[in-house]
Amino acid sequence: MKHPARIVALAVALVVVVLGVVLALNVGSDPAADAKQSQLVGKAAPTFDIPNLAGGRVTLADVAGKSAIVNFWNTWCTPCQQEAPAIAQFYDRHKNDPDFTMIGIVRQDETDTVRAYVKKNGVSWTIALDPDNTAALDFATRGQPETYAISPSGVVAAAKYGPMSSGELEAFLAAARASG
Amino acid sequence: MIRRWGPWIALGIVVAVAVAVVLWPSGSPSSAARAHDLEAELKCPECQGLSVADSQAPTSRAIRTDIQRRIGRGQSDEQIRQAYVDRYGETILLTPQDSGVSLLVWILPVVVLAMGATGIIFALRRNRDEPRLHATAADERLVERELRDG
Repeated sequence: MKHPARIVALAVALVVVVLGVVLALNVGSDPAADAKQSQLVGKAAPTFDIPNLAGGRVTLADVAGKSAIVNFWNTWCTPCQQEAPAIAQFYDRHKNDPDFTMIGIVRQDETDTVRAYVKKNGVSWTIALDPDNTAALDFATRGQPETYAISPSGVVAAAKYGPMSSGELEAFLAAARASG
Repeated sequence: MIRRWGPWIALGIVVAVAVAVVLWPSGSPSSAARAHDLEAELKCPECQGLSVADSQAPTSRAIRTDIQRRIGRGQSDEQIRQAYVDRYGETILLTPQDSGVSLLVWILPVVVLAMGATGIIFALRRNRDEPRLHATAADERLVERELRDG
């Protein structure tokens, strides 16, 4: 060890270079954005079996063979109110498509309040309740609104946390149909 | 002899006892303790900077119930942790994992500390090895002359 200072300097330089390479390779990932990214896209949709507003049950099997939009929402969340017109118009455009179905899963709300909201706003798609948050947990939701596109074969084709625009809803349906 | 080494022996015994107390296996933790530890490791998905253990958000309550159910089914801590990483990604963990890129978070401080200590050791050794200067008779005469002449 003739030049120990040189060896230490080299070691420091090596660590700095390795750190730089690792950071450069990971610079494209944004932890805050990643936290909002669903891990379910490309995977099988979680099974669910939850009550609907009419007193029956809604399960994943009910949407099998169809391109499904699953929207987590409730009556009191402001972003849910923002996306409500786009959701309603989107459903009206596609409700007669034989391969299409849509389910709204209500999180953290009172059944009577939801029933009154549905009646007042003429919501005609399936509304399901998730009183124990089991479906929300299986879909790994981070709040509401959160929307998923499920392909006819039961694969999650797209997911978004936050209010949906009309264009995004159309893109989700196209993604579900394209996934087959 | 005892006076010289006594304090060091006493210090060694205290440190050994402290390490033994900290590291002594306390038996398998109860299900409730395991559940609480796991809840403290997971971040509430719909909160800012709160653990599942500390949050009263509905999702956190559901996760707490789910963790207890999984423990009841006989899943290990690692299996439960992985189930949540699979669902939410690594961001669900409040403590970085000890694998992949996250390993750097654990290793880097140790490496930097070791390199710093090595650097200090080399610096001290070099300082010690440097030849000390001794005043020659000529130097001393020069100083004496300067002191005398002002």
